[in-house]
Order: sequence, then structure tokens, then C-alpha cells
Amino acid sequence: MHKVKKLLAEERSIEALYNSRRHFIKDCTLGLGGLALGGFLNSCSTGSPKIPAYITDRSLNPMAPLPAPFLPKVKSVIYLHMVGAPSQLELFDYKPELAKLHNQPCPPSLLDSKKFAFIQGVPNMLGPQATFSREGASGNWVSNHLPHFKKIIDEVAFLKAVHTDQFNHGPAQLLMYTGSPRVGRPSIGSWVTYGLGSENNNLPGFVVLTSGGTPDAGKSVWGSGFLPSVYQGVHCRSKGDPVLYLKDPKGVSRDLKKKVLESINDINFKEYQEFGDPEVLTRINQYEMAYRMQTSVPEVMDIDKEPEAIKEMYGVQPGKEAFANNCLLARKMVEQGVRFVQLYDWGWDSHGASPGEALDSGFLRKCKATDRPIAALILDLKQRGLLDETLIVWGGEFGRTPMWENRLGIQNSPGRDHQGDAFTMWMAGGGIKKGAVHGKTDLIGYSGVEGRVSVHDIQATILHLLGFHHEQFTYDFQGRPFRLTDVSGNVINEILA
Amino acid sequence: MRKEVKILTGLGGILTFGIILFYILKTNPKVDFSSEVKPILNKHCISCHGGVKKNAGFSVLFESEAKGITQSEKPAIIPFNASQSELIKRLHHSDPEMRMPYQKPALSEEEIKTLTQWIDQGADWGTHWAYLPVEKTPPPTVASVYREKKFLSSPLDHFIAARMEEKELLPNQEAPKNIIARRLAFDITGLPPNPDLYNAFATGRISYENYVDSLFIESSYGEKWASWWLDLARYADTMGFEKDPGRTIWQYRDWVIKAFNRDLPYDQFTIEQLAGDLLPNPSVEQLIATAFHRNTMNNDEGGTDDEEFRVAAVIDRVNTTFDVWQSTTMSCVQCHSHPYDPFRHKEYYQLMAFFNNTRDEDITDDTPNLMNHSAKDRQKIEGILDWVSTHSDTSTHKYFKDFILFKEPKYPSHHFEVIKNGFVSGPTMGLRKGGAAFMKNVKSLGRQKLYLKLVGHTNRSTLVFRKDSLNGKILGTFKISKQGKNFYKDRQGQFITHIDFSREEDPFDLYVELETQDLETKKEHFKLHWFAFLPDLPGKGMPGYADVNKSLVEVLDVKGDLTPIMVENPDHMKRQTHVFNRGNWRVKEEEVQTGVPQILNAWDQQLEKNRLGFAKWLVDQENPLTARTLVNRVWYQIFGKGLVSTVEDMGTMADPPSHPALLDWLSYELMHSMNWSLKTLIKTILMSSTYRQSSYTSREKLAVDPNNIFYSRAPRLRLTAEEIRDQALFVSGLLSDKMYGPGVMPPQPDGIWEHAYLGNLWKTSKGEDKYRRGIYTYLKRTSPYPSLMAFDAGSREVCLVRRSPTNTPLQALVTMNDPVYLEAAMQFAKTHRNKEAKVAISDMYQKATLRVPEEDKLKSLLTLYEEAKKTFEEDPQQLDDFFGLQQIIDINTASLALIANAIMNLDEFLTHA
Repeated sequence: MHKVKKLLAEERSIEALYNSRRHFIKDCTLGLGGLALGGFLNSCSTGSPKIPAYITDRSLNPMAPLPAPFLPKVKSVIYLHMVGAPSQLELFDYKPELAKLHNQPCPPSLLDSKKFAFIQGVPNMLGPQATFSREGASGNWVSNHLPHFKKIIDEVAFLKAVHTDQFNHGPAQLLMYTGSPRVGRPSIGSWVTYGLGSENNNLPGFVVLTSGGTPDAGKSVWGSGFLPSVYQGVHCRSKGDPVLYLKDPKGVSRDLKKKVLESINDINFKEYQEFGDPEVLTRINQYEMAYRMQTSVPEVMDIDKEPEAIKEMYGVQPGKEAFANNCLLARKMVEQGVRFVQLYDWGWDSHGASPGEALDSGFLRKCKATDRPIAALILDLKQRGLLDETLIVWGGEFGRTPMWENRLGIQNSPGRDHQGDAFTMWMAGGGIKKGAVHGKTDLIGYSGVEGRVSVHDIQATILHLLGFHHEQFTYDFQGRPFRLTDVSGNVINEILA
Repeated sequence: MRKEVKILTGLGGILTFGIILFYILKTNPKVDFSSEVKPILNKHCISCHGGVKKNAGFSVLFESEAKGITQSEKPAIIPFNASQSELIKRLHHSDPEMRMPYQKPALSEEEIKTLTQWIDQGADWGTHWAYLPVEKTPPPTVASVYREKKFLSSPLDHFIAARMEEKELLPNQEAPKNIIARRLAFDITGLPPNPDLYNAFATGRISYENYVDSLFIESSYGEKWASWWLDLARYADTMGFEKDPGRTIWQYRDWVIKAFNRDLPYDQFTIEQLAGDLLPNPSVEQLIATAFHRNTMNNDEGGTDDEEFRVAAVIDRVNTTFDVWQSTTMSCVQCHSHPYDPFRHKEYYQLMAFFNNTRDEDITDDTPNLMNHSAKDRQKIEGILDWVSTHSDTSTHKYFKDFILFKEPKYPSHHFEVIKNGFVSGPTMGLRKGGAAFMKNVKSLGRQKLYLKLVGHTNRSTLVFRKDSLNGKILGTFKISKQGKNFYKDRQGQFITHIDFSREEDPFDLYVELETQDLETKKEHFKLHWFAFLPDLPGKGMPGYADVNKSLVEVLDVKGDLTPIMVENPDHMKRQTHVFNRGNWRVKEEEVQTGVPQILNAWDQQLEKNRLGFAKWLVDQENPLTARTLVNRVWYQIFGKGLVSTVEDMGTMADPPSHPALLDWLSYELMHSMNWSLKTLIKTILMSSTYRQSSYTSREKLAVDPNNIFYSRAPRLRLTAEEIRDQALFVSGLLSDKMYGPGVMPPQPDGIWEHAYLGNLWKTSKGEDKYRRGIYTYLKRTSPYPSLMAFDAGSREVCLVRRSPTNTPLQALVTMNDPVYLEAAMQFAKTHRNKEAKVAISDMYQKATLRVPEEDKLKSLLTLYEEAKKTFEEDPQQLDDFFGLQQIIDINTASLALIANAIMNLDEFLTHA
């Protein structure tokens, strides 16, 4: 009897809350309530009613923020992926010895028991298609294709000997983002939002921005695998609705939509009272979030309102799908508490088989389109005091050969085949040792000779900076605990501040 | 005297021992290995002493290892002697370097006590429940209160009531007719009931059972349940990697729908999908069934190693087979023995040997493909095959039949190696001026017709085939002609032709050289896809031979829909299977033969040692997992959770069954009295009182049993992605009942399918194809239909055992704003617009939910209607292109459409109560 009374009391308190919240919604002139039902229920400091144990933050809102298990260095991540694998030999890994071998046949010892995607027979070597200089106080090397990068070179820690065992785009991208070269595992952004939730209820917690096309591995690289699908990346698009179905239908004003929503939630609450299923409360909450997202997402996606100086700094191209725009959007999003912003820029597969993918043509266009916005992103985050709480990661899915690709037995424009043994990535931001260089490749940039790090090491390091121990951050599926780094991975302490 | 003493002492000893034993047994009830010991070992020990690592030479995975000699040359477990057993000593050890688990928290006293007692009692090993045979299980007797409550309408209810009784729970009342009618219709057909049938049931004209039976004979039953199976089968309309090109495999989807509708028994359903091609003289339908395992991804990204992705596909088949039929995570065993369950590393590869002998080799055109011949061609084929039968033996008949239907066995071009001036690229080999290539170890078995599939780019060149070297004996020559289209322009645009070939009984290396008058050096003269050998048509010289031969040439080069199927290698092309070192396919270890895991049912020596035998082994009544898995999964479809809650896994890490006896009762009956009939199984569940309860959730029950493990109420489940879409179209009257055929492309936002270099390929369907059931929606793996994805449908790249239902803002955006739902809302409104507003709203609500709206709900909607109306009256411009439907809409209809849109977003519409 006593128990029943208590339950009834709880029932009433939820109802009272609901009514007061409705009142709040109705009085709110800025659209629907600024607080989610979950947040409201739990943030009430005065006269806090008892919340039944089965209603948790996470049951009302699967994106509710959770504290990191260890002290985090950063709150959010911006991951810049150059899809197709940019050539380390034309950007950061300076190899004067390779220039001497230019257009000479490749020594057979380099081809022994090696498998290539396209190289057939004995290719020639290809010298660096760039000039290099030491820049910044760190004196680190950078190529002439990245003039703006000089400004931020001292913010960056280089990994010069990253390696992967995958040399086809799709599987290599999957490995980079899900820890496995085969489809089915959650992506890193999904892991992170599952573990930490999002600080902003009105925006997706894990946003994906693309320019030039989608990655070869498709949406799996931001998929949620066996985690609940709510944690998959939300692809915010530059054309059409930024988030699918975001726009109200024609003829339905915001005001009218609000009334529709009130009616839906009103009836749903009655349904809750009738059937007692807490899932209905979750639905009410989700509908409110959807309503708020309808205004907050277009707002955050709108770069027109940014000051001219900022637009100039990034080199944005309003109305187009451009990497520069995406960099600016990434800044706006982390500023508003989005947890993980993933950028994919397509078109770095510099085989040389056609001008669009040649190192003396298409590749230069890609450098130009990304150099300025990347520098701007870091400087902009810095001037806003956000760089210390954001991690920026730059890289591709693998590297490129010091050999000149000879697809179908023919040497075309300067281009390089896929290579997994050594490539460059860099990180900047919170917790990163500024100006550090870790890892070294051989004289021609073919293999790592010092400080080799794996894809799982990269992932372990990102998770570490977010406050996770990658071996302990697991999810049980099919009777066993899975983790992003599968069965390996070490935090790369050499680049940590 | 001394002897007597000895005997007495001996007797005394035995007696004492007996007393002690009695004492032990009496005070310490026997510790159960599976339920008490194994969980402790799994939790604390097995990650270092199991299938992955075997530190200090000690493992607790298998009994022989656990009790065997370790690196210290002693066993760690000495039965009946815990105090001398190293395992126990180490748990107590004071030196932290010695104390186990190493560098982890110590075991609790309770846990140590359990292990100690277990060893003292003899350390009997046990078998995990799921690996024990399914036994006949009588329903338990339960308290009379359940009978009084009329809860015991099926033996099933006895099992449920027995567990409720333990928890002092009482069942809910039976759900009202409208609620149960909608629930049944969704669970059987995935749609709301058709109005006539519903009325017949609601007014009592037909019984509950008649209503259920009527739903089962609807063909929508097959469509509903096929959605579930297609998740397991990872069915999709594209190949999956990179460009993710299309694949025509929809005939498999249609096969599944038809199989469910004709209630093909699950054992046969299994055999046909896993090994239909190996059945004696298989029908076309049985060949299509084997496409189950051709749903694996195919990688045609440039520069990929076909063998690597063929291996990946074979591995996926092993893993999927065990995911689908055995609730066993065999994927764990690729690299090492299973971390927790008793499966050995080698056993994985013995299983793989069953699947490793098919003709598919990750070739871009998905070959082998079954040609969907026209009726006319089928007649021709019958004529040819009759002729072959008359003039030859059965093996020749099979050879011709296989080659006509699916062009196997053949040698695909990717096995060529270029000697000079040529290339092997994707599915083709091509040569330039002076070019040459070879393929090793070709077997023509004396057959003298060489078939080629190619595209020719010149009329001035000849291909010369030689034996064993570029100077070897000429085996045949082929004059190239300008004919056919490149593969990437037209999948079937190449042509098939044949030449005479030298009679070669022994294997040879085939050398090909291009001879040409052309001076151009960079031009490729042809692209060859494959070659194959065929015997001469038998019956040469008999009347009619010429006609039959002509038909043969014709049917071999017809174009049409292709379905990838499984085809076994003939003996002369058989593959070997090796253990892969740590799962790495490039590092092969010992060769293995086909075999099944020791822990499961024994292999009957009568069985064929191939996929067919394997499939029969899988559906043998002795197999402990097949029936249990199916029962658990079907239960999950109906109740939203499994009797074993980890529906993917029944291994030792799985949650124990909530109702073990019920699981076994259903599994046993499924195999024996139900003869593997899925309809009977589903019906048995739907006829139970357990199912028929109301889903009302009282606070008390929520407190006692928040997750409804004891089924004292019915679940309230959100509809599936397909059901939500289909229902919106159904209630608005838009839903097409057209069945089967290629995937359709209902409207989706622009730019979803934009590929970096292939452009937007989504061509919105026209006419009724826009309104087909969700199961017919074209599924592109890298870019699945977004509104279905929002509601947790899978992208079908790999086997999906369960969709985890989520509740997100993106779902709200779909049902509120997706033009598909707006059109449905408008159509729904139009069918009610001639009524008075309140009646119209009430009718729409009823049509949508089968419930009469309570007054306050109706009032809420009516208020919304009035407000909408007012808004539109004040600002009629809002109605220009209302909902973006390019129609002229009046104020009343627009306002009703808004109500319809609201109704389609109600929780009671999106769930079934």
C-alpha cells in the first residue's frame, strides 16, 4: 500500500512538471522551451521532485552529456580527412635523396614481396614534386604548396611514420574510423558521442561535413555499427536541407508548427498517462528537440552572418559545397558544443592517371583549396580561446609511394600509387605538444624507421585526449566487449604536452 | 588377525571417507559448472587463460586444458583437492606478483568458495545449456489463480505463469479487441488490418483464431517476415564497396517472400539457401535461394586484390551462417580459439572448408550469375537438354545445363599474368601490339570448344593460344572482330563466342599472344572477361543436330536479369583450405578438411562432405542451437526481446534464458510436432494468453519488473521502419499492393546519392512504384533510403540480427516533414474532407489507430484544426503550393491535412500497444 502511494505521488509530480513545462512552453516567445524535458526534470534545484529511477537522463535523451572517465584535455574534436590519401612526399616529408633518383628505375629490392594497387612490373622513381623549407620557431619542414600552413606550423605536432595494413581506400578508411577494415563497427565519432553525449541539445552531437564527394567507404565511416543508431554521424549538407527533412513543409509557419507539436505532445502525454510507458516521455522530449533543431541547425549552418574578416580569413565560398566553408562551420559547431565534427574532403588520390589526379595539377588545386582554411581554422579557434579545448586531427587513409605509378604499364602525369607503410598525419590543439615531430621515414619516405605509429595508436591517442582509456572503453556485443582499437593501440605520448 | 585388522581399517577408512563425503555433499550442495563456475572463469580468468591467451600454459576454455599439465609441469586443477590445486592457491596468494587475477582485483570470498567447493567435489566439467540437445519439456503446473484468470489458453502460458508465480505477479487482462486486432495485423502482415476483416473480428463474426488464420493467408505476411530475414541475409541491391555499384539480386528477395508465404519448412528453407545448388538436379528457384550467401559484399575498387576480398566473402559466409542459425559468434574464432566458448581455432577453418569451394572470386560482374531466361528461351533450353540427355550421360547433361544457366565452370581473366604490352584490370585482360599473357594450370579435360567472353576493338588482329610457352604448340586461334561494349558502359554488352580447341587431356599453361597488322602501339585490341571449355554437343550426325547446335549458340549469348548464385567448384578446380595464422589469409598453416565443432551435434558419416551435408547437419534435430535460435529470434520479433536477451549470442557469455523450459518446449515442438513450420510457430505464440494481454503498465509492475522479463503485460513496441512507412501509405489509401520485381525508388531528397564521380543515380519511380511497400525500396548499401534508416533499418552490409530501436529527433523530422508523409497526410485528408470537421478528425483518428478518440484528445486536435483554419483564412497565401505538392488546396483540406500529419506523429500511431 505504501509503495502504491509513493508511485502515485511520483505520477503526480511528473504530471505537475509536465503542466508547468507546458506553461513554460506557451509563454516562451522564442519557440518551444529552451530546456528539454530531461534537463528540466533533472536540473530543478529547488523543490526537486523525485524522479523515478527508470527515467534517466539517457533514457529521455540518449545524447545527454556524461562525464569522461578520466580528466579530459579536450572537449571536442575536429577531424580533417583528405579523402584519397594526400602525398606526404609533396607536403611534409622532405626527401632530397628521392630527387636524385627521379625517373630512374625502381631498385628491385624495393619491390620484393610488395603488393601495389596499380603499379605493375618495374616502375620509375618519382622525385618530390615540391620545394621544402623550414618554418616557424620549430623549424619544421613544409612544402611550398602550403604557404598558409607556415603560420600555424608551431601549433602542430607531426606524426611522420604512421602506417596501416590496408592499401585500398574503402578498407583503409574503415580501419581509420572504425578500427576494422571491414564494415560493421562503430565509427570513432559514434564511440565518442556514445561515451560523452553532447553539450548541445539543439544540434547533433556528431556532425559530418563533406566537400567534393563522400568517402569511398560510404556512410559506414560515420556509422554507428552495433551502437544504437542515434550515435551515428549526422551528415549536414551544404545544398538542400542541411539535415534531412529539417525544413517545415510549405504553408506551415513556425507558429503553426509549434501548435502542431503542442497537440502531438499533448495527446502523447495522455497516452503516457493511459499506458504508463516511459518511452512515451522520451518521444515527447525528442519532438521538442526536433523542433529546436529546426532553428538551431540552419543558424549554425549559415555562414553569411559571419564578419567579412572571418569569411576572408577562411576564404569561404558562400552557397557552394567547399572545404573552406566546412572549416568555418566546424569552428561554429565546436563553439556551440558539438562533440565531434568530421570533415571529408574528396579528391586526393593523386595517381597521375589523369590531370585531375596528377601531382602537378589536381593535387595543387586541392592544396590551394585546403591550405588557407586549415590555417584559418586553427588561428580562429586560438583567438577565441577554443584551441585548448579542441583537438584537430589531419590526415588521409594511407600514404603514397616514392615510385611513379605506371598503371596498365604506362607512365602518365606525375603521380604516386597507394602506400600503407609510411605517411604523415598531424594533430593540434588541447593536450598536444606544439611543434613536436615524432617518427622518421627512410631516405625515400618508403617506410618508417623510427617512431612508427599505427592507426589504432592514433585512435587511442584521440580517445586519451577526450578522457578515455581506449582499452577500458568497451561495448558488449555478441557476448564480448568490443573497443575502437580492437586488440592493439598505444597512446602516442611523444606528441602529448 | 592382521589381515582382519587391515580389512577393518580399510572398511573404517571407506566408512570415514563415506561419512566425510556424505558430510560434504550434505552441507555443500553440488556446485553447477555451467551456471556457477563458468561465469566466474569467464569473468576473471579466461581473458589470460583461454582461447586468446594461454598464459603459463593454462587455459580454462576446455576441460582437457584446464586439468592438463601446465608450464609448471603440474596441473593447476586437481579434482577433489582444492587446497593442493594451484588455481585455488593463487587466488589466496599474499605476493601480489603471484596472486591471481594478475594486477586485477581479487575474487570475492564467495567466488573463491564456489571454485574451492567445485574442485573438492571433483571439478566436474559441464556443458553450457545451449549445447545440450533440446529435450521434450512438459508444461509445468501452476497456481489455480492463473486458470481462474483464464490465462492458461496454451501450454506456452503455463511456462510464463510459472515464472510469474515466482515473482508474485498476475497477468494483465486481455487487450481490447481493437488493440489486439491492430497488434496481430502488424505482427503477421506488417500492416493495419483491412477494414472488412477488422470489422468481421470486431463485431464477433469471426473468432480470434479465424482472424489470425485470415491474416496468415495474406501475401503481406511474406513481405513482413521477409524484412526480418533480409536483415539476416544482408540483402541489398548494391555490392557495397567504394562505387557501390548495383547488383541484380532481387529475385532472391522475392524467393524469400514466396518461401514465407508458402510456409516452406525451416529445415528445407535452410538447405535450399545454403546448398540449393548441390541438390540433385536443382530447380531454378533452388538456385536462386543460394543467393543468400551471394549477398556478401564485392569489392570492385580499382587496385584491390580479388583473392583478398573473396576470402573476406567466404569468412563472412561462415560468420553469417553461425550468426543466423547458431547464435554463435564464430567470427571470434578466425584468429584464435573462441575467447569464452568451446570452439577451437582449427574448427573455424574446418567449417570454412565447407564454404571455400565456390566459383565466385570477387569479380566485378558478381559471376557466377544465373540468367533469368525468357519463357521462349527456357523452352529452347529444355529442347537442348533433352537432346543432350538422349545422346549422352547425366554428367554431360549437368555440364550443359550448368553452362547454359550460369556459365560455369569458367576461367576468369584476373588469373592471367601479363608478359608484355598488356594489362589485367578489373574483370578483364587486354593486350596491345606485341602483347602476350599466360594463365597457369588450365584444365580443358579434353574438351574441344573454347568459349570466350570479350569486347573487340579491332578487325585486324588475331589471338593465338599456345601450350606451355610462347613458342608452344598452337591450341587455337581467334580472329578478333570489332564487337561489343566495354563493361563499365554496359554490363552485358560484351559478346560470347567460341572456337575449336586442341584436345588436351592434361593440365597446361595457356599462353595468349596478339598478332596484328596494326601499327598503333598504345591501343588495346580487346578485353577478355573469361574463357571456358565445353564438349562438343553430343549426337553429332543425328538428324536435328544442326538445329540444336544453333539453339545452343543462341541461348548462350542471351542477355537478361542476372542473379548471383552459389556454384561449387568441380573436382578439377577444387580449392584447399588452410588454417590462417592469426586470421591472416596470407599466412597459411596446416591444410584442413571439412568438419563441424566438437561441442555441437556429431557429424553423420552418411552426409555429403560439402555445403549440402553441412546444411543437413545444421537442421538435424540433434543440433542444439538451430531450433533454439529460431524460436528466440521469432519471439524477439513479437515481444521486442528474446527469451535469451542477447539474441545474437547463446554462448557462455550470453544472458541465461528468462524461461529456459519454454525455450526448449517451443524448440522441441517446432522440430517435432510443428515440422519446422514457421507459421505454426508464430501462430502458437499469437494464440497464447501471454500475447493477448493488454500492454497497460502499472506503476507496481514497472517497479517489480521494469523490463517486463516475466511478461505480466504485453509490450508496447515501436513499429519497424518499413511498417511506419507502409502504414502511412496504407491509411491514406496510397499503398500499392504490387509485389516482387526490381527495387523501386520512391522520392528522397536530392543529392543523397551523389557519388564523387558517378553523379546522382537515384531515378524516382513513377506511378504506383512510388507507393510500394518499404521492402521493395532499392537499398544502396553506402547510401540507404534515409527515412528508413532514421527508424533503425540497417544498411545490410553485414548480417544484422536485431535492429536496436531508438527514439531520436531525426525520426520526428521524417514523419513531420518528409514529402512522402506529407503526401500521405494530404491524401488521408482528402478522403475525409467532405465531412464535418469533428467527424472527419474522429474518423481519421479511428482509421489510423483503430481507437475511438477520447474527448480530450479529440478536443486537442479540433483546436489545432481551428487554429490552422484561422491561420489560413488570415493568410491565404500560405496555401500556395501547400505541403509542396503542386496542388490547389482549399482551407478545410489543408487544415485536415495538418491534422492528418499530427495523427501520423502520435505515439499510438508509431507503436502498437
